[in-house]
Amino acid sequence: MYRNSTIQVRVSNIQEETSTIKRFTLQAMDDSILPSFSGGSHITTFLPHPSGTLEKHYSIFNVSGKTGLFEIAVRLAEDSSGGSRYWHQNVQVGDVLPVSYPKNYFPVSFQAKHHVFYAAGIGITPFLSMMAELAKKNKSFELHYAAKSKQQCAFYDYLQNVFPNQCHFYFSNGDSTERLSPTQLLNHRIGTHVYFCGPESMIHDFTIAAKAYGYPSFHIHFERFAPRSIKEKHAFPIKMKKRDTELEVPANSSLLEVLLQNGIKIPYSCRVGGCGTCEVKVVDGEVIHFDSFLSEEQQLSNQTMLCCVSRGKGRLVLDI
Amino acid sequence: MVINDDLRSFPFPFGDSQVYKYSNNATPLRPPNAIELTDKYIDEIRLKRELLTNHPERCYQSSSQTLDAQWEIVDLILHNLVGYYPDQFKLEKKDEQWIFTNLQTKENIAFTFGDRTTLEVEPLDFIGRHVQEDLLLMMQRDGDLFLDAGQLCFPANWSLFFNVGMTFKEIHSPIPGFQSESLDDRILQFLMRIEAGTPWGRKNWSLMAGNKLDTSLETFAEWGQARKQVTKENAGKLVHLRVEVQKLFRLPQSNGILFTIHSHMLPLERFIQHTPWLEQFYAILHELPAFISDYKGISLYRQQVLEYLVEEMKKR
Repeated sequence: MYRNSTIQVRVSNIQEETSTIKRFTLQAMDDSILPSFSGGSHITTFLPHPSGTLEKHYSIFNVSGKTGLFEIAVRLAEDSSGGSRYWHQNVQVGDVLPVSYPKNYFPVSFQAKHHVFYAAGIGITPFLSMMAELAKKNKSFELHYAAKSKQQCAFYDYLQNVFPNQCHFYFSNGDSTERLSPTQLLNHRIGTHVYFCGPESMIHDFTIAAKAYGYPSFHIHFERFAPRSIKEKHAFPIKMKKRDTELEVPANSSLLEVLLQNGIKIPYSCRVGGCGTCEVKVVDGEVIHFDSFLSEEQQLSNQTMLCCVSRGKGRLVLDI
Repeated sequence: MVINDDLRSFPFPFGDSQVYKYSNNATPLRPPNAIELTDKYIDEIRLKRELLTNHPERCYQSSSQTLDAQWEIVDLILHNLVGYYPDQFKLEKKDEQWIFTNLQTKENIAFTFGDRTTLEVEPLDFIGRHVQEDLLLMMQRDGDLFLDAGQLCFPANWSLFFNVGMTFKEIHSPIPGFQSESLDDRILQFLMRIEAGTPWGRKNWSLMAGNKLDTSLETFAEWGQARKQVTKENAGKLVHLRVEVQKLFRLPQSNGILFTIHSHMLPLERFIQHTPWLEQFYAILHELPAFISDYKGISLYRQQVLEYLVEEMKKR
């Protein structure tokens, strides 16, 4: 399959932002500069791993003020499948690794009159570049950012310093009296676009509330880095119509993985249901959609699916 | 048979197909170069600059929010020029002070990168005057693509002035059959997924009665008349195969898409020198559905061209 280009980068600095979050500064190998990027962009990093290369996605930003760099923040996940553990325990200053060019599936709206960002924990990262872009363009925005405590609040000093009038902090340990709540969505004037990034439950609650309060769906933006959590995965059989072949997708594998393992070259990119590259046409069967790319209408049509995350409710016949 | 340079450098547009079908025939672009120089460089640059001077409204349009993306295009194209044609272009950079040298036109241009006031024209207009390609900028805004700026001197019967500000689907709505099977949706989704570092290319072809590159919709009354003059006898010289090499680049800073079009023209009598090309072209033109023939503006003289091709095949 066609592989997208990568860039070799060198880790030039590692900064401990909190006890669980480290910031890594990546620079070009020679004297050149890394590509510029738009607000909300991310990169894919490719890490060596015993089970094969680990592809992980991280929002990029630049809080150190020098141009031509990528910075990422990685939180050490307790149940890390290898990516965050590798970053925290193995990566050293001077290390060289391949990364993708910047990609953006989470751009700021052009038509918004006002932008409101809701972040929880490490969900702050895409908003760092979005706020920098909006500030440069003199656009109106505000940030609502929840963390366990001031100590656990990554980039607290930076945000207070650079965007003192736009930032509101919420600490669940009692450092602040107010808690971050979806009811705050009631406070924004018409023309506001809202953006959510945080744990699945937070994105879910805020999205449901925003819709209930009457926000048009195209005013609601969110980004998840992990695929939507699937509570119970079941195995399902597929039939490939063009090849007249049947395969079984086990409960612990995605359809994309099974297709690739069987030498069927499906193009893919993000692997979390966000970019739409791995779309396949469905001839028969019922799909359980877990992507955030297809429109509701496209999902309900039951004629297409993103095979990196979505699954069959029973047998699927695919047009491949 | 002697293959001259014009034939050797001519982009063959048909693949291995014997029939014409709408499709997203884009492929990853290798090498990832946005521009290409041919031996017609000086002539075409001169023509472009004349058109820009005499018909600025027709040939250049931009909206105010595109300036950052325009600088990104300048950055990309200047680096392509000096990277792929180092003996013809030079670029000296000291921080934001750039000096660009075009050895073919013998020009030296100094400017401050990012500062519009240091150029005589807008950045996109400036860089377009040094390449044979037409340059179009589509901005991705709120989940759609808009034609927000362009320098277009060699349109194949369309109008930048009319289309600027429109969405991708609005611009392409006149193409018959383009909406069937949601082809327009799929291509829009494809365009919006294009990533930085992974540019794409495709070719598009048409026939022209006459050899004008600047066939704008605005001047159809002047050049369109030639369609009525095509005969079996003169088709080889009068009718030209027109191939657009189109390239698509994501601009990572502005999240816009640069669309470059290089238009190549060759008289039919030159193109069909190679017998397999003659036979394939005859098959495609013969099978071309009437609605596509109408849209490409070929219907008025398709029969004459087919008769000419039959005569030529008899001679081989």
